[in-house]
Amino acid sequence: MNDFASLVQYSIAAPLVIAFLTLFVRNWGRPAIQIVSVTGFALPLIFALFLWGLYDPSTPGGYAFVSKMDTGLSMIGVSLHLGLNGVSLPLFVMASVVGLAAGLYAAQSKAENVHRYLFCLLVMQSGLMGVFASIDIFFFYFFHELALIPTFVMVGVWGGRDRSYAAMKMTIYLTLGAMLSLVGLILIYVKSGAESFDLIELKAHLAAAPLADSIQNYAFGLLLFGFGILVSLWPLHTWAPLGYGAAPSSAAMLHAGVLKKFGLYGLIQVAIPLLPDGIGQWENWIVWLALGNVLVIGFVAMAQRDLKQMIGYSSVMHMGYAFLGIAAMSVLGVGGVVIMMVAHGLTVALLFLLSTMIHHRTQTFEMDEMGGLAKKAPVLSAFFVCAMMASIGLPGPGLANFWGELSIFLAVYDFRSGLIYAIVLGIVISAIYGLRAIAKVFFGEETDEFKESQKEVPVTDMTWAERVPALILIIALFFIGFFPKTVTNSLNDSLNSEPVYAQTEN
Amino acid sequence: MGSELYAYGLLAFPLLSATFIAFFFRRSGAVASGISVGAAALILATALHIIFRLENFEYNVSWIEIANFNVEFGFLINDLTKLMLFVVAFVGFLVHVFSLGYMKDDPNKARFFGGLSIFMFSMLGLVLASSLVTLFIFWELVGFSSYMLIGYYLDKPSAAAASKKAFIVNRVGDFGFLIGIVMVFSAFGTLNLSELSHSEAATTTLIGLLLFCGTVGKSGQLPLHVWLPDAMEGPTPVSALIHAATMVAAGVFLLCRTGFLMTADALNVILWVGVATALVAGFTAIAQRDIKKILAYSTVSQLGYMVAAFGLGSLVALGNGDSHGDAIVTGGVAAAMFHLTTHAFFKALLFLGSGSIIHACHHEQDIFRMGGLAKKMPITFWTFTAGLLALIGTPFITAGFHSKDAILALAYEQNTLAFYCLVLGAILTAFYMVRLWKIAFLGSPKSENAEHASENGLVMTVPLILLAVGSILGGFVWFYPEALRPIIALGEELNHGDSHTTVMIYSIVAWVVGLGAAWVFYGAGAADDKLESVAKPLHAVLAEKFYFDRIYDWYVAKVQQRVAVAIHFTEQIALSVLIIRGMAGFAGLIGIGLRSLHVGSIHSYVYWFIGGLALFWALAVGLF
Repeated sequence: MNDFASLVQYSIAAPLVIAFLTLFVRNWGRPAIQIVSVTGFALPLIFALFLWGLYDPSTPGGYAFVSKMDTGLSMIGVSLHLGLNGVSLPLFVMASVVGLAAGLYAAQSKAENVHRYLFCLLVMQSGLMGVFASIDIFFFYFFHELALIPTFVMVGVWGGRDRSYAAMKMTIYLTLGAMLSLVGLILIYVKSGAESFDLIELKAHLAAAPLADSIQNYAFGLLLFGFGILVSLWPLHTWAPLGYGAAPSSAAMLHAGVLKKFGLYGLIQVAIPLLPDGIGQWENWIVWLALGNVLVIGFVAMAQRDLKQMIGYSSVMHMGYAFLGIAAMSVLGVGGVVIMMVAHGLTVALLFLLSTMIHHRTQTFEMDEMGGLAKKAPVLSAFFVCAMMASIGLPGPGLANFWGELSIFLAVYDFRSGLIYAIVLGIVISAIYGLRAIAKVFFGEETDEFKESQKEVPVTDMTWAERVPALILIIALFFIGFFPKTVTNSLNDSLNSEPVYAQTEN
Repeated sequence: MGSELYAYGLLAFPLLSATFIAFFFRRSGAVASGISVGAAALILATALHIIFRLENFEYNVSWIEIANFNVEFGFLINDLTKLMLFVVAFVGFLVHVFSLGYMKDDPNKARFFGGLSIFMFSMLGLVLASSLVTLFIFWELVGFSSYMLIGYYLDKPSAAAASKKAFIVNRVGDFGFLIGIVMVFSAFGTLNLSELSHSEAATTTLIGLLLFCGTVGKSGQLPLHVWLPDAMEGPTPVSALIHAATMVAAGVFLLCRTGFLMTADALNVILWVGVATALVAGFTAIAQRDIKKILAYSTVSQLGYMVAAFGLGSLVALGNGDSHGDAIVTGGVAAAMFHLTTHAFFKALLFLGSGSIIHACHHEQDIFRMGGLAKKMPITFWTFTAGLLALIGTPFITAGFHSKDAILALAYEQNTLAFYCLVLGAILTAFYMVRLWKIAFLGSPKSENAEHASENGLVMTVPLILLAVGSILGGFVWFYPEALRPIIALGEELNHGDSHTTVMIYSIVAWVVGLGAAWVFYGAGAADDKLESVAKPLHAVLAEKFYFDRIYDWYVAKVQQRVAVAIHFTEQIALSVLIIRGMAGFAGLIGIGLRSLHVGSIHSYVYWFIGGLALFWALAVGLF
């Protein structure tokens, strides 16, 4: 299987190399920049799909497509160790799908200095592919930073309203989250005595000689809050709606859709397997804060007037499900979280993409100033309804989301049965804010503001250039929903080989 | 060829139709309507093949597997499925044909017919589903198609509001339903319906009631019935198909599918919810002016009968110690499904008839602005009358009489109070329907539109005639082909118990009283509601629908939205000022002092924030 390991490397390297290429061709005219940059997003997708097809679900316990490269840091136990397992593969593929959609949309944007924008986005894409392919914790972290820094730049330079404030707030929060988790990871490294950042070696080492309970406890706390900030765990979420509200759409798609999953992925693949006894102390914290995500943020989402902020809050709300699924500590719960991460990544990217298209037509994100768009742009409204229904977990467009949520519900019921009432309430709350948004934007009569803006900017329906990126995301959603086994087969095997999840299974 | 291919076909035809319309014929309504009606015809043919030519069968294929949770996609075809399949395919086809006429001049009819196809797909999936999860998936999808079609007239704010309300109220019911499914899985370890029915594990009242929540939402039972009358904002054929004959009856179908998960306590609750719904909706219907609203409340009321029938009959079965298991059909299921079937005929007929009227009267829906339609629209008049006679349970010659009597007979044996309530409900039914009939059809026209009404074409009247036949003959077992008989016969048999003469007398008296009272009370083709002048307070309560909508509107606007805004506000203040800045301020006090809070440099913010968070973390792990 390791024959194709180079494809993993290529899917990280290709966007990075092409990012610099876009700077080279910047004087060759717009089409050249577009073709080059879109290639940079298309290649990882092609490689990822190929790897997905080749992946053998019965890969015993470990990783497929493994490659190890010395980067000159071997004296501290760091090497570029890449590979994919059943947990990372679906996210790796999802990252490449969202990447292509975001890239296609960015390539046609009218932003100034579009080549620099695409450069940032391609660097980010490279980091994203690297995050999910890293077996080495150091590089796992490194790739996250590689993706994060361009995000700040893109928000600060190409962002919308309040961009400098948003960029600053995002930087503070996310840097802090990343630092806390880095401290936690270093603590594990130092205390384990394995002298290696390699996840597989660390795991083997810690299985033989686990860390003392108090160390596990502190380290897990650091990782939980560090990752928690990155995943917008309540009440450390305030950067998210603000940041996404200001971010240019492609950056928001990649960050909310993919990069945000870094924290959850870190908990599932790194924190819990390495610190199996650490979570016990924090269980109540996770449960209560995650309930804050579902219930408090659910209500907050209902109160939003700004479409993009509302989508941002809805995404924060869904992270509550993910934390609860993780807290359940079972193959079912964590498996559900992985499916939900994939589905949510595609859905939220789609919603940010479409909300920008709405903005181009209404010149505003204020939902009170919209209305009646369905008559003028029926295709756009069909896409948006589809996306919103997916987001609220309606089986159909949101079948994948539904599988994730249902698995989490089942796992949570076995974990703490009383929680079920609180979290299933989320399906009512999300229906309320989701349908409210659809009704305000698309149905009813046109508002005066909207009529006014149409005089300056006539409204047209979605063009094909706009449809293609949205269609890519929708097709991916439908595919995962209707053929969930393409994900769950390998997922089951990988999670079952993780003793900490498998042991709690009945 | 495997039997399951036909079942796949049933799903494939409408899905392909919807897909083709969405991608290729969005702008060509004529082609779209042709495709959709063609798909409905194929569905009918396939359904008939499954019903008559195929044995009962079950087919499952693994769909998703995570740990011990696995869901199968599959079909469970038994007598219950076949009966429901017949209703859906038959009424569905007729409504499609009727729509060809009704929607002829609508510029967006491609969207309408596409929506109908999606609905057929979802509804058939619901009927065929072999597992609770698949059933739930299609259950949500019928809700979605209903949402789309209620909101069909995009620029009407009332339609947008009604579609939103329908979806959200249904989700409230699904909240319980989904928790019920989670609990069923936890208790039984499977969600496959036939495995569940053979399981030894014990069910609980809570599980039964949670599953029933789904029915309360979808079948418009108290207190979640409020969405159904509002759903009449959709085009009338949609009201006939989705909000009268099939989707709203899915809740009853769900009960029949999962009857073995009910306990006696749960059944008692179900029974009384059904009875209360039948009465409240019956009273409400008396004071409505809009022809479709009257029919909608009537639907709610009749669904109450079906739910009560299920509760009553299943209680009898539990009392006799009959196991639900393999046999599936108990008296409760039989009575509920019998009434569901006849109701599908006559209520679809009444809605299509009202559609025919509304179409002819240029979208006039107020019965007090109609009048004298009997002469202008003879076919509509006579078929509508047939449906009406069936609904009010005209003795001996109509379907409604037989199916309603089966329910009354069950009530008479099981629960005297429920029996009297249901008899009162029957009086109300006769009363509000005769009121409608006399005011809309007799007398002289009360508006310009009614003046110029004329009969519609064959494409609209033939479905009416066919449904009228069903409404009259659907109460007799011999009317049904062999394959559909088992459940109908069992339901009809309930009418031949020891007490059948007594029950019949009550039923006939109720019919006479309700009909006579309305006949005497309301003038032919009246222009005003006499009840309003005679008993103003009573009329006010009824016209306000017992204030359910008022209370919910108040809750949404004054409670829910304000709470949301308040939480948002508090959160903004608390988080950005108190916790984050406060923590930074705390660290700042110790170190540099409060003033430097406002230097505005990212660096210092980061440090304070870290300090605050470290403190937070230290507190959390209990260092202090």
